[in-house]
Amino acid sequence: MALFAAFQTSLLLALLSLRAYQSEVLAEPLPLTPESLNVSIDSAHQYLNLQWSVHSLAYYQELKMLFQIQISRMKTSNVIWVGNYSTVVKRDPVLHWSWKSELPLECATHFVRMRSRVDDAKIPEPRFWSNWSSWKEADAQKSLGRDPLFLFPKDKLVEEGSNVTICYISRNQQDNISCYLEGQQIHGEQLDSNVSAFKLNKVSFIRKTGTNIFCKVDQKDVIKGIVLFVSKVLEEPKDFSCETQDFKTLMCTWDPGTDTSLPKRSSQSYTLFESFSGKKILCEHKNSCNWQVDSDSQEMYNFTLMAENALGNRSVSVLFSLTHRVHPKTPYNLFLKNVSGTKATVTWKVHPIGNYSTLLCQLDLLGEGNVIQQHNVSIKENGEYLLSELEPDTEYMARVRCADANHFWKWSGSISQKFVTAEAAPSEALDVWRNVKSVSGHPTVTLFWKPLSKLHANGKILSYNVIVENLDRPSRLEVHSVPATANGTELTLDQYSYQIHVTALNSAGPSPASVIVVSGDPGNEEAEEERINGTEDGFSVSWKPQSRKAIGYVVEWCDHPQDLPCDLQWKNLSSNTTSTVISSGAFRPGVRYNFRIYEISTERMANLLEKKAGYLKELAPSDNPQVVVSNLTSHSFTLSWKDYSTDSQPGFIQGYYVYLRSKAEKECHPGFKKATLSDKSACCQHRIDNPEQKTFVMENLQPESVYEFLVTPYTSAGSGPVDTFTKVTTPDEYSHILIRIILPMIICVLLIMITCYLKSQWMKEKCYPDIPDPYKSNVLSLIKSKENPHLTIMNVSDCVPDAIEVIHKPEGSKIQFLGASKSLTETEFTKPAYLYLLPAEKNYSGPGPCICFENLTYNEAAADSGSCGHFPVTPQAPPSQPGPLTSPENLLKALEKNYMNSLGEIAAGEASVNYVSQLASQMSGDKDGLPTNPPEPVHCSEYKMQMAIPLGLASPPPAENSGLSSTTPLDQSEHYR
Amino acid sequence: MKVLAAGVVPLLLVLHWKHGAGSPIPITPVNATCATRHPCHSNLMNQIRNQLLQLNSSANALFILYYTAQGEPFPNNLDKLCSPNVTDFPPFHANGTEKARLVELYRIIAYLGASLGNITRDQKVLNPNALSLHSKLNATVDVMRGLLSNVLCRLCSKYHVAHVDVAYGPDTSGKDVFQKKKLGCQLLGKYKQVIAVVAQAF
Repeated sequence: MALFAAFQTSLLLALLSLRAYQSEVLAEPLPLTPESLNVSIDSAHQYLNLQWSVHSLAYYQELKMLFQIQISRMKTSNVIWVGNYSTVVKRDPVLHWSWKSELPLECATHFVRMRSRVDDAKIPEPRFWSNWSSWKEADAQKSLGRDPLFLFPKDKLVEEGSNVTICYISRNQQDNISCYLEGQQIHGEQLDSNVSAFKLNKVSFIRKTGTNIFCKVDQKDVIKGIVLFVSKVLEEPKDFSCETQDFKTLMCTWDPGTDTSLPKRSSQSYTLFESFSGKKILCEHKNSCNWQVDSDSQEMYNFTLMAENALGNRSVSVLFSLTHRVHPKTPYNLFLKNVSGTKATVTWKVHPIGNYSTLLCQLDLLGEGNVIQQHNVSIKENGEYLLSELEPDTEYMARVRCADANHFWKWSGSISQKFVTAEAAPSEALDVWRNVKSVSGHPTVTLFWKPLSKLHANGKILSYNVIVENLDRPSRLEVHSVPATANGTELTLDQYSYQIHVTALNSAGPSPASVIVVSGDPGNEEAEEERINGTEDGFSVSWKPQSRKAIGYVVEWCDHPQDLPCDLQWKNLSSNTTSTVISSGAFRPGVRYNFRIYEISTERMANLLEKKAGYLKELAPSDNPQVVVSNLTSHSFTLSWKDYSTDSQPGFIQGYYVYLRSKAEKECHPGFKKATLSDKSACCQHRIDNPEQKTFVMENLQPESVYEFLVTPYTSAGSGPVDTFTKVTTPDEYSHILIRIILPMIICVLLIMITCYLKSQWMKEKCYPDIPDPYKSNVLSLIKSKENPHLTIMNVSDCVPDAIEVIHKPEGSKIQFLGASKSLTETEFTKPAYLYLLPAEKNYSGPGPCICFENLTYNEAAADSGSCGHFPVTPQAPPSQPGPLTSPENLLKALEKNYMNSLGEIAAGEASVNYVSQLASQMSGDKDGLPTNPPEPVHCSEYKMQMAIPLGLASPPPAENSGLSSTTPLDQSEHYR
Repeated sequence: MKVLAAGVVPLLLVLHWKHGAGSPIPITPVNATCATRHPCHSNLMNQIRNQLLQLNSSANALFILYYTAQGEPFPNNLDKLCSPNVTDFPPFHANGTEKARLVELYRIIAYLGASLGNITRDQKVLNPNALSLHSKLNATVDVMRGLLSNVLCRLCSKYHVAHVDVAYGPDTSGKDVFQKKKLGCQLLGKYKQVIAVVAQAF
């Protein structure tokens, strides 16, 4: 018992002593000053790595401590950073901590010191800082070597938009150093005599291969450089979602954004972490990751996707229930069966999703790319649906996609199949119209129809059937088959009425017939034309019904009235319609459109009701009429342009403007007014308000003046071009008189000349014969009848011929004397022979050779008188020889005969006979002395053969007074050759 | 024994192509046996000359392609960044005997082959889009490989030299990017200069 008490006492004492010791230890500050502080430089990452230890933790397994760290640059007093580092210190620990320097550590010496403090709740307050450790120096420059220039940091990798500080260290203070970035010099801050720093703010991405930054020492071959790698900013993954197609695999997808890869630096990596299961996988792809669903037990998933690269990371999370992320696979085996004209059955299959899942499938029916029908079908595995209300002969496409029927997440992919419904007979009658015209006396009907729309054709139209039925004479029906490509046909009929049925045919049958009745007698197809105005919407056409039996109306027009064919158009209207708007994309301003309104009778016959004409928009005429000038006088002329058609103009012609201008006249004529043309010139303008007046008389003009005129039509939109004037010059006042007189005169003269030329021989004989017969002279008769009926012709015997000169050329010339046996050459007639018809008063020595002249042109009764004296004459006969030539009449006859025969036998130019009149007319200048007795026909005027006759045979010379007093028709000085 | 000897040469060749590695190989003693795996071409020297001419003709284009791909400041500071002052480049004496010239040529081509291999490797990382440069570098390395084989064949067949001491340029794998670019440029500048002299000597 005593032992037990002693043990208890000693135990209590021990506990008391332990308690006392503990109180003593905890009461004083713990001497936990950091020891063995070591500082090193990590140049690659620009980290200042600190390593130290804390001792005197003998009583504690671990203790939370706070370390305060000071970092100085260049010198210890230049503290650039102060911070605390809290950590749990275990027994005999070596602690590590790093500080990242913004300035490259190589460019400046750094100093580090620290102190500590217990920061553990186990240690009661107050807590005191330990003493500062000694300063530790981190100097990288010592190990740089002897190069004259260094540039840091090397191969720095930064994110776009961040700030970067670079620096250089120069060994020589005297060197002038310049630094460049992308060719641009950069300017920095000098840290000390050898070190300068450059701060680049918000650096931008330039290229993946990095940016060269270099510094060079001026006037030295020293260039040092570094490469700065700027990466794109790592983006947060976008559109991150996960889904399953089979409850076995979750496919997570996202948009990775910009690629941040650089040389030697791979692109960002992606890690998928699920928080409920705690699983984490590294994704193989940049934008997707597959997650295996282990069992059906996990319903909820919380995924975190982390993108990470060398510069940082970004993450995004999503929480979902697996059954709400079902994305079914694309359906398959889509087929169409039992396809008719209006119905078709669609079947398809889907991949099953579990045992209890139901899929909602959407069936779309598409026509021409548009969804026509849409049906939803709930299925497990096989789908089927009957499509109805389809159009015959139409291509459709059936499209199916499915989604989870319980929790819609996404539609599956679509499967589609095209199909074409069967054809059916056309459902509507053709819209038929006709045009009746007469060709060679036979009415010809041209039928037009509009092709059936695809909706009504129900298939490919193979042909059109035209059945013609004679209503007046029941006979066989005429059936015409028209190819499908045609939109009309032409029928030649006679004067009867016909009912025409037109149907369209496809492979399924004909369309309902379109019936139209045509009368062979077109009847009165005329109606007064009214004018209508077009608007932007078209032409508003209205009409007045004529009968109550009309079953409808048709408005007919041509889209291209100026072309052939004019593209006939028509519009059917119901019987209770009396107006409509005709619009067409073909309507153009300035084109006249003619509309005909027909009334369709109960017999389906069309009767012309009204005619309209109008322009969508009237335009000013573009051309002027061709004007003809007529009736040009010195004071007026007439303009006419009757060929100008007013119907084919770009507007309704309302009239014409006649412009007149003249330099001679300053004032306008009555009816004209002054106008100024576009070229500022003045002229006179006259307005014609009647479009059908196509002539105009310009009056009150000045003779011999130049006038310029122009005729231009005008419509409501304006007048035609006023550009080219036509000149007209008025003649002088007398020119027309001269023309009226001189022209006929010239014509007459010309006629006379032509007549004279044609009748020259006759004229010659009549007016100036070679040997004129004074007795037959018209002049004589004229004289006799008008002037002096007592005048008479001088008798030949009254004149005294004196000599005949016969010129004969000796060489080869022949002068044949009829009845003589010897020519003149043979008779040695080598010199001109002078036949002295009358002996000179002194030389005349009696009878000699005689020459007888025979003038064949004078063969009148004188030949019968027998008084012609034939007296031979010899060439040798001297001119003085007397003989029968004493009879002047005979002598003349003889001479003439000789002359004529000589002409007939002597070549021209070879010989000639000259009459040398030696008469000195005694009557010259004494007309009063003319004999008044008529010529005596008893004298011989017939000339016979030329011959030389002896003078003895010659008749005695006439009485001396017989010829001297007569008048001779020959001019005294005229020579005949 | 022949098989063993024939297998050694290619093995040594493979060792030569190890970038930046390898140790000098002593010249085979003159009286040592030498054998090649394949018989040498009958007109070997002509082939060597043609290969040298081919390298010489493409050296300048390769140099231009290289410094252009590096970007500024290389194209405008060739004298400072690409000067051919490669200190440990094997020497060449054009007036030596054919054997000596062939041995020196072998060393030069071995040095260049290794250096060009380093440059090709670096440029594929630093300038992945400079495809024409890569192509030119590969083609040059290929020709050098054939030339090295021919030179060795000539040395072996005529002068019974099976091994030649070779040295390689500095390994650039630990250098910073700018330094890699600069060293490559200097090497190619040196190559352009040397290959002209060598081609002229043969």
